[in-house]
Amino acid sequence: MAAPLAIRAAAWHLPERGVDLADLPELATLDPAERELCLTLGIDRIRADEELDETALALDAARQALAEAGVAAADLGALVVVESRAPERLMVSEATRLQGLLGADAALTFSVGGLGCVSITPALLTARGLLAADPDLEHVLVVHGSKPSTPTRYRHPVTVNGDAGQALLLARAGDLRVLDCLQESDGAYWDLFHVPFRERPVADWREECRDPTAYSFRLALETRDRLRELLRRLLERNGLRREDVRGYVSQNLSTGGFAFLEEVLDVGLLPACRDNLRRYGHLGPVDVLLNLDTALRRGELPDGGPVVLINASPVAAWSLLLVATGGDHEHTYQL
Amino acid sequence: MATAAEDVLAFLTRALGSPVGPDDDYFADGRANSLFALELVAFVEHRFRLTVEAEDLDVGNFRTAANILAFVTAKTGDRSPGAVTDAANG
Repeated sequence: MAAPLAIRAAAWHLPERGVDLADLPELATLDPAERELCLTLGIDRIRADEELDETALALDAARQALAEAGVAAADLGALVVVESRAPERLMVSEATRLQGLLGADAALTFSVGGLGCVSITPALLTARGLLAADPDLEHVLVVHGSKPSTPTRYRHPVTVNGDAGQALLLARAGDLRVLDCLQESDGAYWDLFHVPFRERPVADWREECRDPTAYSFRLALETRDRLRELLRRLLERNGLRREDVRGYVSQNLSTGGFAFLEEVLDVGLLPACRDNLRRYGHLGPVDVLLNLDTALRRGELPDGGPVVLINASPVAAWSLLLVATGGDHEHTYQL
Repeated sequence: MATAAEDVLAFLTRALGSPVGPDDDYFADGRANSLFALELVAFVEHRFRLTVEAEDLDVGNFRTAANILAFVTAKTGDRSPGAVTDAANG
C-alpha cells in the first residue's frame, strides 16, 4: 500500500488578461495549413499576461492555497517547485526565489521537473516520499508557474500554451486523496520538441519538432501501448475494475488530442477538459488538477471518484494518477 | 468485391478527408496526425487480420498505400494481396 498523500488545499492563478485565438499575433506568420490547424484545436482563448513571469504566477497561487488551509508560510515544512521551461536566468535558483518571496523561510526547498506536463507527477511522488520519510513534516507545497518557453504560443501541430499558476498543499490526509501514481518515460524522444536558443535572439525562439512523423506515428502508437498498459496496471494493483472508475481527466492539448486518448483507452473524458481547453489552452503541469477541480465544482463527479488523471508528454513521458475525494472508507476503491 | 488496394485507398481517403493516390505520402504532406495513425494501424490489423507488432511500427510501412500493401504482403508470408483480400472477406 502506498504511503498516504492528499491535497489539503489547491489554488490557481489565471491571469485576467488574455487573447482570443483569432487575434494571436503569430497567426500572421504561420503558413495557411499551420494557421488552419491552430484555429481548429478547440481553443477559443488563452490567458496571457506578459507582465507576470512564472514565479509571479506561482506565488499568487501559493499564497491562495496557504490561506485556504490556514497555514502560515513561515510554518511550511517543504516547498517543491515544478521548474519552468525557460528560467529567467541561468545558474539562479527559481525555487529559493519563490521561497523568499513567499516567506517560507523554514521550508525544505528545491525543484523537480524535466518531463513537461508530466512533471506534476514527480512533484507528487516527491511530496509523498517526504511525508513518508519525515514524521515531523506536516505539509509540502507543490507550486508551478506555467508559461511557454518562447515568445510565441503555438506549438505546431499540438496546442497553444496559456499562462497559469498552480499551488497544491499536500499532507497525509485531506479532501482529495492521491491513491496511486504511475510514471514511465522513453529517452528516445528527449529532444523531439526543442527550442534552439544559444545563438538566437529571444524574438526568434520557436518550439520546433525534430521529426513530425515520429510524433504523429511512432510516438502516438507508443503512447497507445504505454497508456493501455499503465491503466491496466493501475486498476489491477488497486483492485479496481474499469466500471469502478467514475471519471477520466487528461491534460488539455486539442480536441483531437482528447479524441486520441478516448480512443486509446476506450473511455470518455469529463466535460471539464474540453471546456478548460477552450477557455485556457494548454497549461502544462497545471491542466489535470485544474480540470479535476472544475469537474468537482460542477458536479461532474457526484461520487467523488475514483478518478484517473492522464498525462502524456512528448519528451516522452506518461503518467496516470488515481485520486478520490471524501473520507468514505467503506468504498471498495479505498486503499 | 473490392480489392485490397481499393479498400486501402478508400480508407485513407475517408480518414484523411481528401483524395489519396497509391504513392501519396500523407505523413510528409502534413495530412496525418496521431489519431489518424491509430485508426490506420487498427484498419490494417482488422482488414488484413494481422497483428502489427512493435517491430512493425516503422512509418515506412505505413506512409503510402503502396507501402501498406507491400507490408501486408511481407507480413502475411507468401499470400498475395489478392489472397489477403479473400481472407479479409472471409
